[in-house]
Amino acid sequence: MRPALGVDLSGALNLVGRMVKYFSVAFLFPIAVGLGYGDPIWPFAAAGAITAAFGWGLERFTKGGESIGAREGFLVVSLTWALSAFAISVSYMFGEAQLRFPIDAYFESMSGMTTTGASVLTDIPALNHTMSLWRCFSQWLGGMGIVVLSLAILPRLRVGGGRALVESEMPGPEYEPLASSIRTTARRLWLIYVGLTGLMILILSIFGWVGIDDLMSPYQAAAHAFTTLPTGGFSPQARSVVPFAAASQWVMIVFMVLAGANFALHYRILRKRFNPLRDEEFRAYIVIILIASLLLFIELLRSDIYSAGETAVRQSVFQVVSIMTTTGYASADFVKWTVLTSLTLVAVMLIGGCAGSTGGAIKVARHVLIGKLLRRELDQTIHREVVLPIRLNGRVVDERTLRAILAFGVIYVGLFLAGTLVLTIDAARSGLDVTVLDALGASATTLGNVGPGFGFAGPFGSFDPFSPFAKVVMIVLMWAGRLEIIPIAVLLTRRYWRA
Amino acid sequence: MEGNGASRRVLQEAGIKETDLVIACTSRDEVNIVAGILSERLAPEARTIVRTQNVEYLEVWRERQLDVDFVVSSELETANAIARIVGIPAARQTDVFAEGQVLMVEFDVPIGAEPNQTIGQALRNAVIPADSKVASIIRGDRMIVPRGDEAIQPGDRVIVIGSPAAARAWSGIFAQGRVRANDVVVFGAGDTGVAIARVLLEEGTLVRVVESSPERARTVAEDLPDARVFNATAMDADFIKRENIGTADAAIFAMQSDEKNLYAATLAKIHGVALTVAVVTEPASAIVLERAGVDIVINPRMVTAEEIVRFAHDPRIRQMAMIEGDRFEILDITVREDSQFLGKPFRDLPMTGSLIGAIVRGDTAIFPHGDDMLLAGDRAIIFAEAARVRQVERAL
Repeated sequence: MRPALGVDLSGALNLVGRMVKYFSVAFLFPIAVGLGYGDPIWPFAAAGAITAAFGWGLERFTKGGESIGAREGFLVVSLTWALSAFAISVSYMFGEAQLRFPIDAYFESMSGMTTTGASVLTDIPALNHTMSLWRCFSQWLGGMGIVVLSLAILPRLRVGGGRALVESEMPGPEYEPLASSIRTTARRLWLIYVGLTGLMILILSIFGWVGIDDLMSPYQAAAHAFTTLPTGGFSPQARSVVPFAAASQWVMIVFMVLAGANFALHYRILRKRFNPLRDEEFRAYIVIILIASLLLFIELLRSDIYSAGETAVRQSVFQVVSIMTTTGYASADFVKWTVLTSLTLVAVMLIGGCAGSTGGAIKVARHVLIGKLLRRELDQTIHREVVLPIRLNGRVVDERTLRAILAFGVIYVGLFLAGTLVLTIDAARSGLDVTVLDALGASATTLGNVGPGFGFAGPFGSFDPFSPFAKVVMIVLMWAGRLEIIPIAVLLTRRYWRA
Repeated sequence: MEGNGASRRVLQEAGIKETDLVIACTSRDEVNIVAGILSERLAPEARTIVRTQNVEYLEVWRERQLDVDFVVSSELETANAIARIVGIPAARQTDVFAEGQVLMVEFDVPIGAEPNQTIGQALRNAVIPADSKVASIIRGDRMIVPRGDEAIQPGDRVIVIGSPAAARAWSGIFAQGRVRANDVVVFGAGDTGVAIARVLLEEGTLVRVVESSPERARTVAEDLPDARVFNATAMDADFIKRENIGTADAAIFAMQSDEKNLYAATLAKIHGVALTVAVVTEPASAIVLERAGVDIVINPRMVTAEEIVRFAHDPRIRQMAMIEGDRFEILDITVREDSQFLGKPFRDLPMTGSLIGAIVRGDTAIFPHGDDMLLAGDRAIIFAEAARVRQVERAL
């Protein structure tokens, strides 16, 4: 006899169906853009219709659960993400010759939704306006989270486990509510997100209009705002943001830093005039950015890549901010720099943005807490009886959370190394020239939702040369990285499914 | 009579309406508060004093959300008393008057103290820190009126009234090299222990707390981010050694059991702690601990009683302290216009077993000399034998 199922599978699938159904509304955006630019709209209409039908069908043939709990939440979030990315990949398969092959299309859409920014395209300018903007828009959709979005705007999505869903989707060790209800919290987060995006489009458009940056059309402004705020990194340009003026790049730096900071902190700054430097995580975030930038700056001068001046400063800061916030733009081909700069960038790739930001990777808060844990361990080695609660911003972090953070760190690094190993073995099997640094970079960049890697997968390169198997591995890494591994990892345990 | 103080009927039967003063000091905070509030309602004329242990109720009262006349927290009073003692080396007890301008300090002169310009000299020749007076010398069980030909001897207990600077100077004379305690270990993280740790931390002292219950240790460590909390027992000699407890300037024992406090204090002494202070639960234990060599024994009930008596006394008296159990009192009393001592120089005032240590005129403290005079409205800070307190009150 089969043991009883402990998860409300039908209820979970029902909710997934409902969210996928509503997700089809997103396809109205490229349809509207396509009508404006006179590009073909049928790929989007078809993909939207298929998505709606699939979602409707899934909802129709399953029974809605009375209450979706934390347990079902993991399944709902994992599946919703996998299916939403799939829905977008359908429009790529229909509408873009370079993405005809399903694994390529799924890689591109997963990279978009998870705000990674790695691409298998080899000729980005060949995309039409609509497809290019849609690709950027998919990052914007994924940035703040589609479950959070659903909770914020869908009136009929009243689920008991809203909190569990948001916790699975929101990056960071602890979910910080901005209001007593999940819906209000979700709305406030999205409001800040939309507001910052609008502000960035406005500033960049003005730069284009007054002639500070001739290339910065409103279209380019929108495309880059859509990929900056979610720390995505897609760009309609072949050479990322290199062609844009220094002023535009500085604006991007500022907005990348904002996107990589905790959105709950933005709320407190706006509403309560909170001084962000009083936040421990934000302080650490800024300090790490400054130190890494300085390191890069010195190395760039030392190896005569740039001479001292604004360019050298901008190139160092831009690359560090872009990689650390896991955006993945490039204002220079950093692959051609030195080993030390590459290692520095891989290091900040593993740090990532702040908790509650749109950035990926391990997150600054976890690093701060792991650092405190290590310090406590050393202290207790000498002083066996000392009792040391660990605090963040003066608030005690409970031991269970700390254990979860340590476990996350170990799983993250484990998955990163496993990914590196698999990619290296696969490259050897398929005769691809992948160095250790390239494999480390590819694994870290996909797991951390950063974007560019090293070698041929550098910022101006493409992930296309990887074998289909390697691409599938990286799709899984991106998916797992975006949801911070645990919601997906628990699905693989027997205890999750058993009653 | 016998009955529940929180019962209206009992209070009425006790004649609450005709009462001038109600003191609620049972061992349960909540009962005291209910009794206090009831009395305030039943007899608005009477003054009500409520004793609580928990500092929180005191805070509530200070925010005027508890309708009684006076609240005294035994935890906080005890904590303050201890903080004053560890703040002035060699001091056994310290009381503060006139918003901190005048201090009364009781010192023990070490038995092996070397004679110097102060110790062993006739008082008229001895070097006495400015702005201070020797109020009394206690030698064995005898109290000596400090006349000019008396000398402070090793082993004496000396009571001094003076400015804070003078108190520190005296402390320097008696402590002979010992400095203000900067590193204090508190054993026992009960409510009293935590209150002590809190007061010390506020003064910038380095505080270590030792607590045997793991859960309690964790809670306290969370509540006191600046203290270092250890989960260990005070009887663990290995622990005392490993953590160098012996190098602490002072150790305070605030555990529930007086026996444990005694054992732990002795152990700490063995390991070299300079000053041991124990907070006793049973008043009867005080003498035992003192005889056994604990440097200072604090009885929270005594400290609280002092605070209550201060409030309950003559309305002209702002503050008073009890010394040596209740043998002496320090009065802070405002001089009446018809006082018989007005306009007389100090050297002509009769010796009545009491001594005017300081006067507060306007906002400043004056440490009077022979030709100073008392004026109406002066606040006089007076050291008096308990038996003479009434007499002094009448005379002024």
